[in-house]
Amino acid sequence: MIDWSAFLIVTAASLFSAAVLVSLYSLGLRLLTTAGRIPMVEPHEFTGAITVLSPKKAAKQLKRARKAAAANPLTPGLKSLALFAGYACFVLCAIAVLYGVYLIVPALHR
Amino acid sequence: MLIWKASYLVPEFSLIIVLVIALALIFDFTNGFHDTANAMATPIATGAMKPKVAVGVAAILNLVGAFLSTEVARTVSGGIIKEGDGGVLITPELIFAGLIGAIVWNLVTWLMGLPSSSSHALFGGLIGATVIGVGTQAVDYNVVAAKVILPALIAPLIAGGVALVATRLAYRITRRDLGKPDGRGGFRYAQIFSSSLVALAHGTNDAQKTMGVITLTLIAGGFQAVGSGPTFWVIAACALAIAIGTYTGGWRIIRTMGTGLTEIKPAQGFAAETSTAATILASSHLGFALSTTQVASGSVIGSGLGRRGSTIRWGMAGRIALGWVMTLPASAIMGAFAAGLALLGPIGIVLDMVIGTIVIMALFRWSRRNRVTHHTLLNDIDDAGRVVRIKKTPRRPARPGRGDRRKVSL
Repeated sequence: MIDWSAFLIVTAASLFSAAVLVSLYSLGLRLLTTAGRIPMVEPHEFTGAITVLSPKKAAKQLKRARKAAAANPLTPGLKSLALFAGYACFVLCAIAVLYGVYLIVPALHR
Repeated sequence: MLIWKASYLVPEFSLIIVLVIALALIFDFTNGFHDTANAMATPIATGAMKPKVAVGVAAILNLVGAFLSTEVARTVSGGIIKEGDGGVLITPELIFAGLIGAIVWNLVTWLMGLPSSSSHALFGGLIGATVIGVGTQAVDYNVVAAKVILPALIAPLIAGGVALVATRLAYRITRRDLGKPDGRGGFRYAQIFSSSLVALAHGTNDAQKTMGVITLTLIAGGFQAVGSGPTFWVIAACALAIAIGTYTGGWRIIRTMGTGLTEIKPAQGFAAETSTAATILASSHLGFALSTTQVASGSVIGSGLGRRGSTIRWGMAGRIALGWVMTLPASAIMGAFAAGLALLGPIGIVLDMVIGTIVIMALFRWSRRNRVTHHTLLNDIDDAGRVVRIKKTPRRPARPGRGDRRKVSL
C-alpha cells in the first residue's frame, strides 16, 4: 500500500535537481563576480530589502568597491573567460527551467 | 447555459447543482489566495518582486496553468470516497456540505495566517460529509493514510532537507572574503523565474481539484456522461476563480511564510523556491502528489537552517504544523455538521447556506480588526530591515560604477 521506494526516489530526484540548479546559478554569480561584473540587483522601489545610506557613506562604499575591482588579479583574457563561463552557467539554468516547464505542461511530453 | 437549460428540465436537481458549482468556485477562490504565499512569499520577502507585481504574475500563471492540464481533475476523488456502481454514489448534497466545511476551514486558517493545505481541507470536508451521509464504510481509510496523511508528514521533511542542502551550496559557492562583494543580490533575478515555476506548477494542479468537483457534480446530476472530463466552461470558470483569488493575495499567509518563519535573503529565497519546484515536479511525476503548501513551508524552514546565523521561529513552525494536523479533522467535522443539516432536505440546505454565510461574514468582520494588506506587509518587512541594519552593519561596498545612494544588502 505505502510505496516507500517512491518516496526515496522523489527525495533523490528533487535533491539532485535542486542542487544542480542552485549550484549552476551560484557558480554563474561567482564567475561574474570574479570577472569584475558584480551583479547588483536593485529591489525596485521596494524599501524593505535595501539599505538606505547617507551620501557620504555611499561615496565611501563606492570608493572601496572601485578599489576592490581594481585589485582584481585576473588578466583581461581570464576575465572574459570567467564572464563567458558565467553566462554559460546561466544558459544551462535557463535550459533547466525550460525543462521544468516541459514537465509541468502535459501536452508537451505526451 | 447548459445549467439553465437543464434546470428547466430537471427542476428538483438543478438548484443544488447550481449551489454546488457556486460553492466550488468560492472554494477555488479561497484556494487561490491561500496559496499565493507558496510561490510568492519568498520573492516578496527578499524584494525580488514588488508585492503587487508578484501576485499579478502568480495570478496569470495560475490562469494559464489551469488550461494546461486536466489530468488531476479526471481523478480527483479517485479512491478516497468509493464511488460508482460498486461503491457508494456521492450526492450533490454531500459535495455541497463538504465544500462548506472546506471553505470555512480555509478562511479560519487564513485569518490565523497559517499556510494550510487547501486539498486537505477539501478532502476533509468531503470525507466528513460522506461519513455522515453514507456511513464510515464509504471512506477508504487506507487510501486516506497512504495518499493524504503520510505525504503530509513526508513533504516538509523532503523539501526541508533539499532546501537546506541547496542553501548551503548557494552560500558556499558564492562565498568570498569579508568585505569583497559577493554578488548575492543577483539571486533576485533567479528568484523571479524559480517562483514563477512554482506558481505555474500550482496552477496546473490546484484549479483542477475544483474542476474535478464540479465535473463530479455534473456527472452525479446526470448532465454529463460518466467518465468524461471537464467541459470548457468549467475549466474557464475555475481558472478565473483561482486567478482572482491569487491576485487578491492572502497577505496574512504571505507574511507568515515570508517573514514569520525566518528572515529570508535572496540566496535562501532562490534555494527554497528551487527546492519547492524540484520536489513538486519530482513527486507529481513519480506517482504521488505532495501538497504545495507543505512543500513550500518545509523549503522555507530548510533554507533558514541552511544559512549560518539565521534563526528559525520554531513557535511559528509549530503553529503551522498544528494547523496541518488540524486541517483534515476540523474540516471533516464542519463538513459532517453541514451534511447533517443538508440531509434534512431543502430546509437543511437553506440553513446550511444561512449559517455558512453568517460564519464567513463573521470571519471577514473579524479580519477587519487588524487588516493585513500589501501596504502593511511592506511596513513589516521595512521594520525588519531597519532592525537588521541597526544590529549588524554589513561591511560591503556599494554597487560599483553608479553613484546611487541605495545599497543592496546581501
